[in-house]
Amino acid sequence: MGCKKKISICIEIQNLVKNFKDVKAVNGISLNIKEGELFGLLGPNGAGKTTLIRMLTTTLTPSSGDAKINKFSIKTQKNEIVKLIGVCPQDNIFYNELTAEENVIFVAQMHGIPLQESKERTNAMLQKLGIAGKKRWAKKFSGGMKKRLNLVMSLIHEPKILFLDEPTAGLDPQARRIVWDFIRELKGKGNTILLLTHDMLEADALSDHIAIIDNGEIIANGTPAELKDEHGGENVLEISFYKEADVAIMKNQLKEISFVQNWKEFGERTLLIPFRGGMKNYLKILQKMSEKIIDVENMKFRQNSLEDVFLNLTGRRLRD
Amino acid sequence: MKVLELKSVVIALKNIKEKFRSWQAIFFGMGFPIMFTIIFYLMFHDVDPETGIDVYSYSIPGMITYAVCLGTTSAAIVFTRDKSTGILERLDTMPTGRKNIFLGTLISESIFLTFQIIVMFILSYAILGQYFVGYFELLIGFLVSLLFGILSVGIGIIIASFSKNEEAASGIALTFVMPVIFASGAMVPFESQIVYFMPPYWAKQIFLQFTVLGDGLTSNLYSSSMIGYTATETSIPIWGGILILIAMTFLFIFIGIKLFQKKTKL
Ligand SMILES: Nc1ncnc2c1ncn2[C@@H]1O[C@H](COP(=O)(O)OP(=O)(O)O)[C@@H](O)[C@H]1O
Ligand SMILES: [Mg+2]
Repeated sequence: MGCKKKISICIEIQNLVKNFKDVKAVNGISLNIKEGELFGLLGPNGAGKTTLIRMLTTTLTPSSGDAKINKFSIKTQKNEIVKLIGVCPQDNIFYNELTAEENVIFVAQMHGIPLQESKERTNAMLQKLGIAGKKRWAKKFSGGMKKRLNLVMSLIHEPKILFLDEPTAGLDPQARRIVWDFIRELKGKGNTILLLTHDMLEADALSDHIAIIDNGEIIANGTPAELKDEHGGENVLEISFYKEADVAIMKNQLKEISFVQNWKEFGERTLLIPFRGGMKNYLKILQKMSEKIIDVENMKFRQNSLEDVFLNLTGRRLRD
Repeated sequence: MKVLELKSVVIALKNIKEKFRSWQAIFFGMGFPIMFTIIFYLMFHDVDPETGIDVYSYSIPGMITYAVCLGTTSAAIVFTRDKSTGILERLDTMPTGRKNIFLGTLISESIFLTFQIIVMFILSYAILGQYFVGYFELLIGFLVSLLFGILSVGIGIIIASFSKNEEAASGIALTFVMPVIFASGAMVPFESQIVYFMPPYWAKQIFLQFTVLGDGLTSNLYSSSMIGYTATETSIPIWGGILILIAMTFLFIFIGIKLFQKKTKL
C-alpha cells in the first residue's frame, strides 16, 4: 500500500478543471506532491480547495484534466484509490445517533478491518485525541469533539495518503495544538499528507511545501522559506540604542552587510532595518552589531509571513 | 470472513441500531396502521351468524398492506439522509461499495418490515381474533407482504433520488402512499380498472385469497379469478398476480437504484 519506494511523486495533478455552471471553482491546477511530504494548500475561503480535494478523492468528476494518486487515475481507477487514501472532510460528517466509538468502528469495518482489531484501534486513537469513553451520541458532542471525531474517522485504517480539509477550523487553541502534534506524528511515520487550510500559521507550522491557491489557480509554490523569501517582502528589525553614538557605529557596521540596502532613523536613538532573507540573515545582523556594541535598550523583530506573501501576490488579505 | 463482518451486514446492523434509537420514527411509522386497524375494527366488526367469521377479517389484508407501504417512507428518509448529510459522499471515499450500501439497507429495511408485519399479525389475529384459514396460508401472507415491502422500498429509493432533505422525502412519500393505497382499493373498496396498476392491489388480493377466501394451495394458485370481497374481479389467475408482484418488485428496485446512482453522481 501507499506509494512505491521508487516512485517519488505520489500525487500528480494534471491541469485539473472543475466548473459549476459559470463558476470556475478549479481552473487548471497542476501540482506534484512527493511521497512522505506534508503539502500545504493555502488559500482564502472560496479559493477552490475543497473542490480540488473532492476531485482527488474521487467523489467529484473533473470537467477536464486528470490526476494520478500513486499512479492510479482518479477518473478510471477509483476503486484502487479509495483503498489507499484517508479523507477528512471540511464539515463534520458522521452518524448523529451513534457514539464516537460506534462511528469509528463502523468506518474501520468499511475498510475491511476485523471487528476485534477495529475496536482496539478505535480505543487507542480516541484516547490519543482525548475523546475516548464518551457514551453520548455524536450529535451531542461539543464542536471541538466533533471535529476530532471527524479526523479520527479518516485515519483509523492508517492510510498512507491523507487528505485533510481544514482539520482545525473552529478549534480552540489547545485542541488545535493536540491536532497539530497529531498531524506531525502522522508525517513522522512517512505518510503523504495534503493539508488544506486558510490559516497561514497552520500552513507555516506544518508544511514541508506550500502552494497558494486563489480563484481556482495556484499562484505560488515552494517551501515556506522560499515563498517568504521570494514574495514575502522584507523583515524589519527595530533597534533602540542607549547612546546616540551607538547609532552611528551601527550604521557603519551595516554598510558591511550586503543584504542590508537601507535603513531608517526613527527619533534620536532608534534604527529601523529592513532586510530580505531568512533567520540566518537576522543572526548575521546581530552578530555584526555585537562586534562593536555591548548592549541595547530594546529590539523588535517583525518577520515576514505567508500573509505578506498572499498580500503581495493578490493585493488582498487571506482573511477577507 | 464471518457473516457479521460482511460490509453489507455491518451496514444493516448500523441502520437497525440507528432506527431503534430514533423511536419516534418507529412510533409514527407503526402508529397509523395500528390505529386504523383498531378504529376500523370498532366501526365495522360484525360476526356473520352463519359462518361465525368476523366480516372485518376481509379487511385485515388491506390493513397489513397499508402498514407495509410505510417501507416507502422509511427508505425514502434513510437514503435522503445519507445523501444530504454527506455520509454517502464520505462512504464513497472508502472501499465501501454502493452495492453494499443498497444491499445492507435492503436487509435492514426488510427486518423492520418483518417486525412491522409481525406486530400487525399479533394485533389482528392474536388480539382482535380475526379469521384466517391456517398457519401455512399465514406464512404465504407474510411472504407476500414482505415482497410488497421490498417493492415499497424501491419506490422509497426513487423518491430519495429527487428529495433534497428528509422533510421533503417524508412529505413526498406520504403524499404518494395515501392516494396509491386508496386507488388500489386495499383499504376501502374501489371498483375500477385503475386498481390493476396499483401494486398494493396485488399484494392485498393475493394475501386475501390465501388467508381468507382460499381453499387449499392448488385452488388458490389456479383459481381463474382473483375475486375479492368488495374488489374488482380479474381474469388473471392468482399465480399471475404473484408474478406481476415479483416483476414489479424487481422493476422498482432496479429503477430506484439506477436513478439514485445517477442523481448522486457528482
Ligand atoms: N456544488 C457547488 N455548486 C456550485 N458552486 C460551488 C459548488 N461547490 C463549490 N462551489 C463554488 O466553487 C468555489 C470554490 O469553492 P470551494 O472549493 O468550497 O472553496 P474552498 O474550499 O477553498 O473554500 C466557490 O466559489 C464556491 O461557491
Ligand atoms: Mg473548503
